[in-house]
Amino acid sequence: MAYPNNFLKSTSFRLLAWYAAVFVSSVAVLLLIVYWTTLASLDQQLSESVERETDVLGELYLTRGAESTVRAIQLRLADLRPPRRYYLLQDAAGKRIAGNLPPMTPREGEMVLPVSSLFKDRRPGPEEAVEAYPVVAMGRRLENGVFLLVGENRYRAVKAREAILQAFGWGILITVLLAAGGGAALGAGFLRRIEAINRTTRSIMDGDLSERVPTRGGEDEMDQLAINLNAMLDRIQGLMEGLKRVSDDIAHDLRTPLSRLRHRLEAARAKSGPDGERVFEQCILELDAILATFSALLRIAQIESGARRAAFSDVSLGGILGTVSEAYTAVAEDQDQKLEVRVERDFSISGDRELLTQMIANLVENAIRHCPAGVRISVSVGQDASAPVLSITDTGPGIPAAEREKVFQRFYRLETSRTTPGSGLGLALVKAVADLHGASVELSDNRPGLCVNIRFRADS
Amino acid sequence: MKILLIEDDSQTSVYVATGLREQGHEVDHSATGQDGLALASRGGYHVMVIDRMLPGVDGLTIVKKVRAAGIKVPALLLTTLGGINDRVEGLEAGADDYLTKPFALAELLARVNALARRLPLPEEEMLLRVGNLELNRIERTVTRAGESIELQPQEFRLLEYLMRNAGQVVTRTMLLQNVWDFHFDPRTTVVETHISRLRAKIDRDFDEELIHTVRGSGYFLGISK
Repeated sequence: MAYPNNFLKSTSFRLLAWYAAVFVSSVAVLLLIVYWTTLASLDQQLSESVERETDVLGELYLTRGAESTVRAIQLRLADLRPPRRYYLLQDAAGKRIAGNLPPMTPREGEMVLPVSSLFKDRRPGPEEAVEAYPVVAMGRRLENGVFLLVGENRYRAVKAREAILQAFGWGILITVLLAAGGGAALGAGFLRRIEAINRTTRSIMDGDLSERVPTRGGEDEMDQLAINLNAMLDRIQGLMEGLKRVSDDIAHDLRTPLSRLRHRLEAARAKSGPDGERVFEQCILELDAILATFSALLRIAQIESGARRAAFSDVSLGGILGTVSEAYTAVAEDQDQKLEVRVERDFSISGDRELLTQMIANLVENAIRHCPAGVRISVSVGQDASAPVLSITDTGPGIPAAEREKVFQRFYRLETSRTTPGSGLGLALVKAVADLHGASVELSDNRPGLCVNIRFRADS
Repeated sequence: MKILLIEDDSQTSVYVATGLREQGHEVDHSATGQDGLALASRGGYHVMVIDRMLPGVDGLTIVKKVRAAGIKVPALLLTTLGGINDRVEGLEAGADDYLTKPFALAELLARVNALARRLPLPEEEMLLRVGNLELNRIERTVTRAGESIELQPQEFRLLEYLMRNAGQVVTRTMLLQNVWDFHFDPRTTVVETHISRLRAKIDRDFDEELIHTVRGSGYFLGISK
């Protein structure tokens, strides 16, 4: 499959990027919701658990006294499994009766104790990592100034957050991979269908009008596009065939009577006297000019149909230049013009020798016919960025910039050359032959004069 | 000379047949492809003039079948379309020359004569001689009355073609196609220029002119009668 040169600019990549972005953000939103609700619920559980424990121990103190409560607290502290619980029972003087927390200023209700406040007397070692979490605690004043504090650290909530964040990471990674894979598959399918359309249009531009865009028989937009394109192509093919039929009909229906007319004029000339002969001679010349215009038109139409491409062979541009210059050097000399040929590097291209010869001959003849005596006409083949370029330049009057595009139109003639005989089809034929070979024709100012560059494709 | 003409358009065929007969040729005419093919297969002709577009069997098929049967009579195809592929297709089918309608009678006559001459002339004749003009095809030298004449390659090819068809009219189109390989009508005086240069070298310093202009037809090289 032919990807566009810059993958980052391709539709397929943009599609993929959008696909991935939408996918990733929806997964992120989902995980955030899970994150918030889980953490909120864990926090609530923690608060409830601490409150329940405070209730139990407070009740114990009030009903069974300090002794039982101290024992209960010691029993609970023997359990070392996380989450770690913290207790403090202190008397009115602020002295610790039981528990594993340093004494503190009594404060009622729920509070959060930072890690630093837990161990004023000792620092937590690495083995005590399980204790390095903030604590949610509940303080309660009991009778006679006795203060009870029960806490539990946020081990569970922190672990849960870590797990969720890890899940978040993996989720995003897998989503990106899935999105990229899915997007690439989707894009490849899309691109393949676009490429099928491109391939078809290319081969149609190369002259094969019978090509059609493949359809899947589905009802989706791509199929609709293909169906519409095919309908358009049917119409174009119909029009082209109509055009060809018309020109064939003209060729046959009009050229035959014109041929007969010519035959009769010739027969009449043979029988007429010397005075009549000159008149008939002129009639025949006029008729031949009409027929020549006719032939040129048909020839251009046939070249434009592209059918000639089937007979392309390897031809040497330098060789053709040699043939043409051999034929025209003497013609130019007779008009006191100078024709030079320069072959910087010979190129062999796939093309039609007969038509390329006519194209170059047309351009050289244009220069000879439209330039005054004394000009220098130069024909050369060279290269530009490894592609062959044919140049025909002269030092004559040139073509005004505004007219340079128009001269390729059929029957268009410059104001200055209306008096010279000619059909106005020479450059139209040049353009048709160049198009047939995938070459471009550029007219520019030779300061003074005209410079015609015919640029072929590097691979032609 | 015995000529077979296969042409469905009655006016064209009368015109061509009359022209050929006036030149002293014997003409058999057929208006359909089938009849034409039957006549051509019987043989005995010096030249065949065949229209490309015929009802039934077309001109290309006739040439192909005749060639397949081993008949080597030179064939001239008449094409109507001015088609740029017609020439190649015709030559591939085995035709020896082609002429696009409409054509001048002089053009047809010149080509028929050239085709008829082609058979007896050995292709690789080394020395061509007309009067006291000699052209050596191997050494690529030209002499007239023993005097050596320097020619440009193009002038040499032109003279060679004229000498191979010595005594016959060759048209401007025949020269363009055979000497320059140009299959289009130039709008400048390519042929005239080269003929006049060749004349200057071959004829100017000699009493007798060898290159003659035939008005309305073309040129002819030989000793005028």
